[in-house]
Amino acid sequence: MARITINGKPCEFTGAPSILEVALANGLEIPHYCWHEGLSVVASCRICLAEVWAPNPRSGELEPIPRLLPTCQTPCGDGQVVRTDSPKAIANQKAVMEYLLINHPLDCPICDQAGECYLQDYSYEYGRGESRFEEAKIKQPKKDVGPHIYLYSDRCIMCSRCVRFTREVTGTAELCVVGRGSSEQIDLFPGKALDNELSGNVADICPVGALLDKDFLFTQRVWLLTKTPSIDGLTASGDNISIEHNQGRIYRVKPRRNLSVNKWWISDEVRYGWKFIHSDQRLTEPRRLQYGEQVGTNFSAAYDEIDERLAAAREAGAKVAALVSPMLSCEEAYLMARWVRAACGEQSRPIIGVGPVPVNGEDRTFPPGASPADRNAFTIRAEKAPNARGVRRVLKGLNGTEAFEFAKWLEAIKDAEVVLLTGNYPSEWVTKDLAKALSRKCIFLIDTLPNDLTGKANVLLPGATWAEKSGTFENANGLLQAFEQAIPPVEGSRSEGQIFADLLARRAASTNGHGAPRYNAAAVREEMAASLGLMEFIRDVQAPAAGSFIESDMELVEL
Amino acid sequence: MPMTGPVLTRRIPTFPYGNPRDRRTVWYDDYVKSGGYEALRRSIALEPAAVVDMVKDSSLRGRGGAGFPCGLKWTFLPKNYEGQRYLAVNADESEPGTFKDRLILDYDPHMLLEGIAISCFACRIQTAYIYIRGEYHHQARILERAIAEAYGQGIFGGRGILNGACDFKVDCYLHRGAGAYICGEETGLLESLEGKRGWPRIKPPFPAVKGLFGKPTIINNVETLCCVPFIIEHGVEWFKSLGCASKIGGPPSFGTKLMGVSGHVQRPGVYECDLGIPLRRLVEEYCGGMRGGKRYKAAIAGGVSMGVLGTDQFDAEMDFDIGRKYEVLGLGTACPTIFDEDTDMVMVARNIARFFKNESCGQCTPCREGSGWMYKLLCRMERGEAKLKDIDLLLELAGSMGAMPGTTICGLADGNNWAVRTIVNKFRSEFEARCSPSFVPVTVGVA
Repeated sequence: MARITINGKPCEFTGAPSILEVALANGLEIPHYCWHEGLSVVASCRICLAEVWAPNPRSGELEPIPRLLPTCQTPCGDGQVVRTDSPKAIANQKAVMEYLLINHPLDCPICDQAGECYLQDYSYEYGRGESRFEEAKIKQPKKDVGPHIYLYSDRCIMCSRCVRFTREVTGTAELCVVGRGSSEQIDLFPGKALDNELSGNVADICPVGALLDKDFLFTQRVWLLTKTPSIDGLTASGDNISIEHNQGRIYRVKPRRNLSVNKWWISDEVRYGWKFIHSDQRLTEPRRLQYGEQVGTNFSAAYDEIDERLAAAREAGAKVAALVSPMLSCEEAYLMARWVRAACGEQSRPIIGVGPVPVNGEDRTFPPGASPADRNAFTIRAEKAPNARGVRRVLKGLNGTEAFEFAKWLEAIKDAEVVLLTGNYPSEWVTKDLAKALSRKCIFLIDTLPNDLTGKANVLLPGATWAEKSGTFENANGLLQAFEQAIPPVEGSRSEGQIFADLLARRAASTNGHGAPRYNAAAVREEMAASLGLMEFIRDVQAPAAGSFIESDMELVEL
Repeated sequence: MPMTGPVLTRRIPTFPYGNPRDRRTVWYDDYVKSGGYEALRRSIALEPAAVVDMVKDSSLRGRGGAGFPCGLKWTFLPKNYEGQRYLAVNADESEPGTFKDRLILDYDPHMLLEGIAISCFACRIQTAYIYIRGEYHHQARILERAIAEAYGQGIFGGRGILNGACDFKVDCYLHRGAGAYICGEETGLLESLEGKRGWPRIKPPFPAVKGLFGKPTIINNVETLCCVPFIIEHGVEWFKSLGCASKIGGPPSFGTKLMGVSGHVQRPGVYECDLGIPLRRLVEEYCGGMRGGKRYKAAIAGGVSMGVLGTDQFDAEMDFDIGRKYEVLGLGTACPTIFDEDTDMVMVARNIARFFKNESCGQCTPCREGSGWMYKLLCRMERGEAKLKDIDLLLELAGSMGAMPGTTICGLADGNNWAVRTIVNKFRSEFEARCSPSFVPVTVGVA
């Protein structure tokens, strides 16, 4: 295998990767601004320059290459020696840092990027500490470039990542470079706005505080945020995300790099779709129907009523139906179906179906014209539920046959008397057909937001969104991905997993007296593998990469 | 053997062989009457490779500034490649003080078109684009008319070169720039031709392999291509009898060169001379001496990006060795700007820095930010508000940018770097006179 020595560390490589890529793969840091793994190479920021010694092809002796080479663009050569810590390379790093800062406003105290800014980090690591620039700075305007993004041109370092993103990823090319020299700036193409379905990503790839997320602007200092790795809970894409929260409140959602799923990006729908989690409409109290009117109750009373109703139904030989929402995780679907089957007893099988799977338009792949299998392609899924496939997989594993799809299930429940439903959709999901089909039936509903059924349910339990629990989603490509709980469920609610774990424990308690265990997704996966033979749940589930959970940097010090 | 008569200016009356007042545009008929397109006829009777070999043997060096051997550049095209190739003709003459190509475009456009046709034939290039500077409105109109004439006469298009005398067909188009200096940089020119922002490309891949629209492309200066017909017509030995060999063992500087002299001379203008003519002779014999009898002080060697020749370098020979011999970047376009003894060199430096600040494309950090900083620093120096230490800062900034130290993609910053650095180094006392001393605060510890 070919070898290259970077800053004294021998690194192996195959093919012709750039020096920077090999360095990063080997855990070596080379500062870079304009280079981004998902974008074309422009080699324009010039901070990644290195001094290179290449072996003479005839004598094999190392000879210095007289000029500094951009590591992001220069392919590795066998036997080369690269130094980014030589006096020449360091002098260049210092010069570039000084150049980048001469027209930068240095307004870190009021900048959203502070704390995760490459200008700050590299200044600290590679800069010169003080500026020799005594002239007047160039003042650039702040611009409102689109529904989600502000552009503070004065902080921009012209790395052109955002311009390349709109050209190479979205294919919309709203952004361009105007002007020349140091008065150059990023601007909108005349007559356009940065209004595409991936526009939020430009704020992520901006290495400085020039492109800012309007939604996050001035809401939180980034060092206060805890970053929990999660999976997109709104669409079937299974995008890897990082939920960034502080004290039980989500402040923003960012993409996590996963080359086999979402590459480096997420859609704006996923980025901003979490707002309903903190909606003041959230259901936070179990309720039950009493003399035709819903009244508040507590979980154990609600459980009692559910158990009593089901026992009565079983006595009477009435049919029970259950609808498993595709918004639930695989583990929850398993616990729910297991509990419903147990509650119905051996004689009468419940009618279990998969909840409605919302679809909006068609799948769209970026850049336009790319195939979803392309290395850099990014697909927005039309299917707006994270786990329809996972729910089907679990129900099939449990029943041995395919579960009813929603339309079939609606027909099948005509003579059912007790119906258990789960919702958890971010918006209204109860169709007229469903509401009609459920009239004069006993309804148990677990949901997160009010809808047509929440007022009519005999028992209503407040559920929790995916950010408030752990579990596994199966995306549109059949990839099983586990996610962790980011924030606790809103006060008064419980995750569906916990609710069914409670109900299952109550059934078991009547025989052996154990209390309710804490819902543990990993344990449920093991149980699924053991009891149903769904070995994929211990074999194929992808866990977030190590290091993707990041605690807040903030340390509280007692004074 | 020095030149005995005009070569490139054969149809353009130029001192001392003719009176510039007699200049008029030579259109197709007059061009053919005076022996035009004869070299093209001769070329197509040869094998294309033989034409390339002749140009290679003549040691013709690029006239656009870098002096790269033209024939060698042609051989970089991929062999046995049947697809589309392009010739990009660099007529984006926007270096301050340079106006030699304009003379050709103004008065003898067919000389360029003949050079294009021969070069395309030799390199098997089907399509040529002439990228002309946006400000050359008049020249663009002349070229358009000349190209239309050439199409009408079967030089281009149709059944093949010279009305099908050869079955190789060449198309030629004119593309007008929008007024950016950087589009004269070869890859910036290609980007601009493709309709993009004129940001120079990172190399490799080199244009000869992957150039315009991703196809192998040759980029040549107007004057370089104009030399080609003469090499075909008069032979390699004749061409090598003009100009001079290198006196320091480098590659030779054969041929004649259009030299556009501007600045403080009696008769500024374009003159054709042998390469290697001393600057003093160019000024005194061709330009009628310094204006107003003043003394020579400095000269920009060939376009502002090459840096300046000092007061003691008036005898510098204008050939491609000038860079190594006289501490300038190179011969450049061989269009010197002459300064007399009254010139304020700080102002010259500031003016040049202003040009580069305005024309930096803004792609690479050092050039984008450094050019603006240098300009501001020089403005302060010119106003007399700078400190002595600022001179060193200025030199450090200049030295930190350029394609030669590797910190930028293209050579624009090198031009800025060399211009400022050579002026400061050769006229440092003038800068020091403008600056106040920098005091270093010293505290004495008292026990």
